[in-house]
Amino acid sequence: MNAPRRLWHNTHLVLDGNLKELERLTGEAARFCRQHGLGGEVEFDLTLALEELFTNTLRHGGCAGVPRAAEVHLTMLPDGVQLEYADRGTPFAPPSAPAPDLAAPPEERPIGGLGVHLIRQIMRDFEYHRSGGWNRTRMRRPIPAGEPKV
Amino acid sequence: MIQVTLETREGWQVAVVAGRADAEAADDLESALRTAIDQHPKVAADFRSLDYISSAGLRAVLQAARAARLRGGEFAVCALSDPVRKVFTMSGMHHVLRIYGELPC
Repeated sequence: MNAPRRLWHNTHLVLDGNLKELERLTGEAARFCRQHGLGGEVEFDLTLALEELFTNTLRHGGCAGVPRAAEVHLTMLPDGVQLEYADRGTPFAPPSAPAPDLAAPPEERPIGGLGVHLIRQIMRDFEYHRSGGWNRTRMRRPIPAGEPKV
Repeated sequence: MIQVTLETREGWQVAVVAGRADAEAADDLESALRTAIDQHPKVAADFRSLDYISSAGLRAVLQAARAARLRGGEFAVCALSDPVRKVFTMSGMHHVLRIYGELPC
């Protein structure tokens, strides 16, 4: 029997807790977008969200050096791209992190908040739960129906 | 991957930045910008060939701006592409940085 075609259309990635994995993350997001005919703007946003999630895992989740520290699932939906991200770090719920003070002089800004802020600007429909020692987040990059998939 | 080359134009030291300002490249970007700032009172970062920036890249730019301010120098960013400009705007960078369409020189 042939394997269902849709298996090839989702992206599942397991990442070690090493910044060098960023290149692989970028490559997989690019491949997913190519497979689904998604344009540069969607690819940029997905890559950005994934990078911010992953660097928070390394920097604030205590996962630097941890093998298989994070997992990524990208799934095409009728109204956008679903991004599922899980890490084995300390309990951290990105959507609930405090917003940075954007008007503060650069040196007074807190570290880490900016990445979460960017994710919240470009993604929607956040869900979070923690289970079995994993932080599990789900979010969607909307692509309005009938619009070009850029 | 990021590449920074320095040019002098109309009294400005222009740091031409090409590539992606992600978390891996951020230290290199900050280091290159701060080197220019240490050596010249007016530095403009030319971002026309910058394809991508994340919060790590933004922090590198902010640190450079801070270094310039502490030295009493000028620092500006120029020629942002639309996707990069979107990230700058989302993060409020336009409140704390001088952003030009084209180079100030």
